[in-house]
Amino acid sequence: MTAPLSHLDLLEAESIHIFREAAAQFRKPVLMYSIGKDSTVLLHLARKAFWPAKPPFPLLHVDTTWKFHDMITFRDATVAEHGLDLIVHTNESGIKRGINPIDHSPSIYTDVMKTQALKQALDAHGFDAAFGGARRDEEASRAKERVFSFRTADHRWEPRAQRPEMWRLFNGRLGSGETARVFPLSNWTEKDVWRYIAREKLAVVPLYFAAVRPTIERNGQLLVVDDHRLHPRAGEHIVERRVRFRTLGCYPLTAAVASNAATVEDVVTETLSAKTSERIGRLIDHDQSGAMEKKKQEGYF
Amino acid sequence: MRARSSQALKVVAIAPPAPRRDLSGIVRVLTCGSVDDGKSTLIGRLLWDASDLFDDQREALRRSDKRVLNGEHLDYSLLVDGLIAEREQGITIDIAWRTFDTADRRFVIIDSPGHEQYTRNMASGASQADVAVMLIDARAGIKRQTRRHAAILDLFGVRHVVLAINKMDLADWSEAKFRSIEKDFEALKKRFGFVDTAVIPVSAVTGDNIARQSERMRWYRGPSLLDYLSQIPEKAAPKAGAFRMPVQTVLRDGQDFRGLAGTISSGVITVGDRIVDAVGKTEARVKRIATMDGDLPSARRGQAIALVLDRDIDVSRGAVLSAPNAAATAARRIEGSLVWVSEQPFDPGARYLLRTATDLVPVSHLGIRSLLDLETLERTSAPSCAMNDIAVVAIDLVRPTSLDVFTATQETGAFLLVDAISGATVAGGVVAALHATSLTDARATGATIFTLTRALLNHGLCADLAGKSDADAELRRRGDEVVTLLKSAGVTARLDID
Repeated sequence: MTAPLSHLDLLEAESIHIFREAAAQFRKPVLMYSIGKDSTVLLHLARKAFWPAKPPFPLLHVDTTWKFHDMITFRDATVAEHGLDLIVHTNESGIKRGINPIDHSPSIYTDVMKTQALKQALDAHGFDAAFGGARRDEEASRAKERVFSFRTADHRWEPRAQRPEMWRLFNGRLGSGETARVFPLSNWTEKDVWRYIAREKLAVVPLYFAAVRPTIERNGQLLVVDDHRLHPRAGEHIVERRVRFRTLGCYPLTAAVASNAATVEDVVTETLSAKTSERIGRLIDHDQSGAMEKKKQEGYF
Repeated sequence: MRARSSQALKVVAIAPPAPRRDLSGIVRVLTCGSVDDGKSTLIGRLLWDASDLFDDQREALRRSDKRVLNGEHLDYSLLVDGLIAEREQGITIDIAWRTFDTADRRFVIIDSPGHEQYTRNMASGASQADVAVMLIDARAGIKRQTRRHAAILDLFGVRHVVLAINKMDLADWSEAKFRSIEKDFEALKKRFGFVDTAVIPVSAVTGDNIARQSERMRWYRGPSLLDYLSQIPEKAAPKAGAFRMPVQTVLRDGQDFRGLAGTISSGVITVGDRIVDAVGKTEARVKRIATMDGDLPSARRGQAIALVLDRDIDVSRGAVLSAPNAAATAARRIEGSLVWVSEQPFDPGARYLLRTATDLVPVSHLGIRSLLDLETLERTSAPSCAMNDIAVVAIDLVRPTSLDVFTATQETGAFLLVDAISGATVAGGVVAALHATSLTDARATGATIFTLTRALLNHGLCADLAGKSDADAELRRRGDEVVTLLKSAGVTARLDID
């Protein structure tokens, strides 16, 4: 044991520490599982933290019903393989009202089908803490997020009232009505996530790898036609292109990139030499200036 | 204007480092300075010149910056200032974390605000940092604020400090100016315990001595800021130090596996080594160092593991496993210093809890003795303290917990104070001295002390815990809560379950 610990070793240990600390301090935690690469790493670290026991909390997937079909298949296979508890929640009132990402603006759709849905699920099950895969490198307002981040009784984030975090001492004691969000990947970068997926040989949703897929070009972005609900508009045509995704979400809101990276190794190489950050493919962030901070104050994860 | 601006950019742009899969470690850099010292610009400049910034981030800066500084330079601070309120006010209001990689190292920049009223944020940044960059304006020199910053860094454990003298471009690149500030700093640093310091003349706006040697200050022969940061040994590096592992949780797998899970906070452990729990005074040998990736022959500081012992000793969350020849102290009374971080000032009637690495213990008495003047380092006797004060305190606990003196073993020598009702962190502190007995006990002689024993708890309140995993931790938690409630009702109570 003379070789120094690499930065991935240190990040892994830090995340395991955070998982163990939160599981010990909170009464009823849950892991927000969104099926993407960050959730894949998050789940793997949770399994390491409590091995040989299973993670002492269930997984929660907020299903908007607009996720890529491959994501749902992958989710169910992962849960079955590791024998995990999965809770799937959909905002049924949003479905009844016909809220969807094609006819409604990204901010309305995200609020109803993600933010409101998440609040419903947390309240219905009485979870007092939720693990999420957010990273500080993702976006400017995330850079100020704590590892243990507190929410008011109505799930609002108050950036000015954050608890200072000192040393490796995490204070998870909740005030009346408060709940917590816990971010074990806070100090990871997008590049670290892919380096780690390659190092640990983790399976990820196949959409991360390049393949020929039916696409349409809209507002300068490539959308994959994942099912019949996305129709070409006048002047748009479905074209087969070799594409992959850097980030996964609701398919009408997630842009693909042209790529030939067909294996994890290819993706790591491509990511390490990438010229643009991953959020460029997430359409909700482009909606308005300071979009993420506003969404978070309203209770977005 | 546009042509000039992109020309200036070409001159300063440095080829991005070749991507590597494994970086040799993580160095956390705290930056501190006043609002006008150009701190956000300095960090933005480091990111721009030395890091693997994405093209869209560079392009966004070029597009968003309508006020091109000095006619030719971008406003690099826009890469850093995150929150909407800050952009509107033009100040940095909270700690922000920025990651960047050079060819072989991961740097995490912890950006802390410079206002005096944000001492608490600087202290929490200092507690996380391997090295600090103190930024001052070359034209202003060392100010009251600089002295305060140095005192906070020293108190909260930063051992490597750089004084970056910024805005040399506005001080005629003057060596005389630099030497005079350097001399002031030499005098200042004698008061502190820094292991290593450097004084570097820089200009964040022009990039001189940030990521490359300045050609305009040839009289300076020391390293650039990036060169200095690149040779700092990181905190997580292997170090001599007594073994410490705070136990976070007990992992079980049927009857065969009972693992004490935690992160090693100091030293090294090898299979066969003896460990002791200072509070329970029980010893055992390490039989396995278990991880999901297989057992390890040994492990060290920074690694998250589970220890399987050769016999079943009564140890659970809250314990600190130590090397028997240099064990942690089972303390009932702590003397130390803390920074008050809550907007609610100290309240002698409030109920406080002490959070150590993994333990949470009710405080039976919190005594404020004096306040530290960060500028003069003099102590003024005081009965109370408020936000951003540094107070010298004595803390009595309702039961013993494992602690160390901070200067010897940082992670097990630091603590938080928590408000028992709101849950808020009210203070963060460092241990200067430890005592096995509490003064409260001595003072209370003659008064009735209600002692909550294991038998008493098992009889009723914890009857449902029989046979459950982690029953002991839950019993301890419930006992602590009862003691806290009784105390708030004016009854002196203590927990005796060891």
